[in-house]
Amino acid sequence: MSVLKDWKIHLSALIIVVICEMIGTRKIQMGPGVLLFLPMLYAMVIGGIVSWPKLKLINLKEMNAASAVLGLTTFMLVTKLGVIIGPSLGKVAQSGVALSMQELGHFLGTVVLGLPLALLLGLGRESVGATFSIDREPNIAIISEKYGLSSPEGRGVMSVYICGTLFGAVWLGLLAGYLAALKIFHPYALAMGAGVGSGSMMAAASGAIKAVFPEYANEILLYAGAANLMTTVFGIYFCLFVSLPLTEYLYKVLSPILGRSESKGGRAI
Amino acid sequence: MSWINTIFIFGLIGIMTVAGNSISYPFPASEAAIGYLIMMAITIIGMALGKVIPIKLPMVFWISVIALLSTSPVSPWAKSVTYYTSKVDFLAICTPILAYAGLSVGKDLDQFKKMSWRIVVVALAVYTGTFLMSTAIAQIMLKFEGLI
Repeated sequence: MSVLKDWKIHLSALIIVVICEMIGTRKIQMGPGVLLFLPMLYAMVIGGIVSWPKLKLINLKEMNAASAVLGLTTFMLVTKLGVIIGPSLGKVAQSGVALSMQELGHFLGTVVLGLPLALLLGLGRESVGATFSIDREPNIAIISEKYGLSSPEGRGVMSVYICGTLFGAVWLGLLAGYLAALKIFHPYALAMGAGVGSGSMMAAASGAIKAVFPEYANEILLYAGAANLMTTVFGIYFCLFVSLPLTEYLYKVLSPILGRSESKGGRAI
Repeated sequence: MSWINTIFIFGLIGIMTVAGNSISYPFPASEAAIGYLIMMAITIIGMALGKVIPIKLPMVFWISVIALLSTSPVSPWAKSVTYYTSKVDFLAICTPILAYAGLSVGKDLDQFKKMSWRIVVVALAVYTGTFLMSTAIAQIMLKFEGLI
C-alpha cells in the first residue's frame, strides 16, 4: 500500500497533533483585542519546521504526499459542517439574503482594497491575477484557462496562492480572533466572513471566533459552513463572470493613475 | 488516489482526530470514534457521488449534500448522527488538517523565496480584505433582516 511508504509523514502528523492538543489554547492580550493561539496554529508551524528543506527530515515526495492528504482531510471538515447545518436548515435559509451577498464582500475585499494597493506597490498585470479573488485552486483554474500560468496574471495568482498556503490560515486565525475579541461585529457576521472559500483558512478563522464566543459555538460553525459552501459552489461563477471582468476594467482605469508608468510591464514579482 | 488508500488515510486521520479530541474535549473516545466513522462514511459516499454524477460541480458540494441530508429532518437517523458527530469537536478535526498543511510547506518555500515582499503584502491585504468586507456585509444584512 503506497500510503505506508509515507509513514514518516503520518507519524509526524500524529505526534504533532498530540503535542499541540496538550499545549492547548493560549490567549495573549494585545491592546483592546486578544491574540488567540489554537492548537491548529501550532500544528501548522511545527509541521512547517519539520518540513523545512534545510533540516532534511522529510523529502519532496513526502511533502507532496502530505499535500495530497491535506486535500482529503478538508473533506472531513466539509462533512462536519454539513452535519451541523442539517438540523438548522431553516435557520440558514432565513439568513439567505445575507449569505447570498457574501460574494460581494469577497469582491470588495480582494479587488477594491487589493488592486489599488498592488498598483501602488508597482505591480503590473500580476495585480489582476493576484487580487481578482482569494486565489485558491478553483480561481487558479480560471486564470490558467484565460491567460496561462506563465503569464504575468498567472504569476500573480500563483504567488498569492503560495502565500495563502504558507501563512493564510495562521494569519486569518489571528486576525479573526483579534477582531472577534474587539466585539465590534456580531459573531454570526464574523462567522459568515470566515467562510472565505478555503478549507484551512475557514477552519482557522471560525475556530478562533468560536473560541472567543463559546456560547455561540454551534451557530458560528453553522454560518461559517454555509457561507463557505456558498462560496465554493457559486463563488467560482461569480469570479468568472463578475470579479475578473471588473478587475480587468478597474486595472485599465486605475493603472495610469496609481501605477508606475515607467515600468509598463510592472515589476518582476 | 485509490479508494483503498483513501479509506486508509481517513482511518489514520481518524486516529489523530480522536486522540486530539480526547485530550482537549470531555467526550468519551468511543463515542467520538463512532462519530468519526459516521462522518467518514458520509464523506466517502459524497466523494463517490461526485465521481458518478455527470453534473460538473465541486466534490465538496456532493459531500455537503449528503452531510446535510443525514442530519436534516428527512433523515430517519438524524438524531443519532447528530448525537455521535457532535462528540467530535470541529477544532479537533482542524489540528490534523493544519499539521498536514504544515508538513507540505517545504515544497513551496523555494518559490516563496523568489517572490518579492510586495506580493506578500498584497496577499495579506487580499485575505484581510475578504474577511473584513464579507463580515461587514454580513453584519449589515443580518441587522437589516433583523436577525441579530
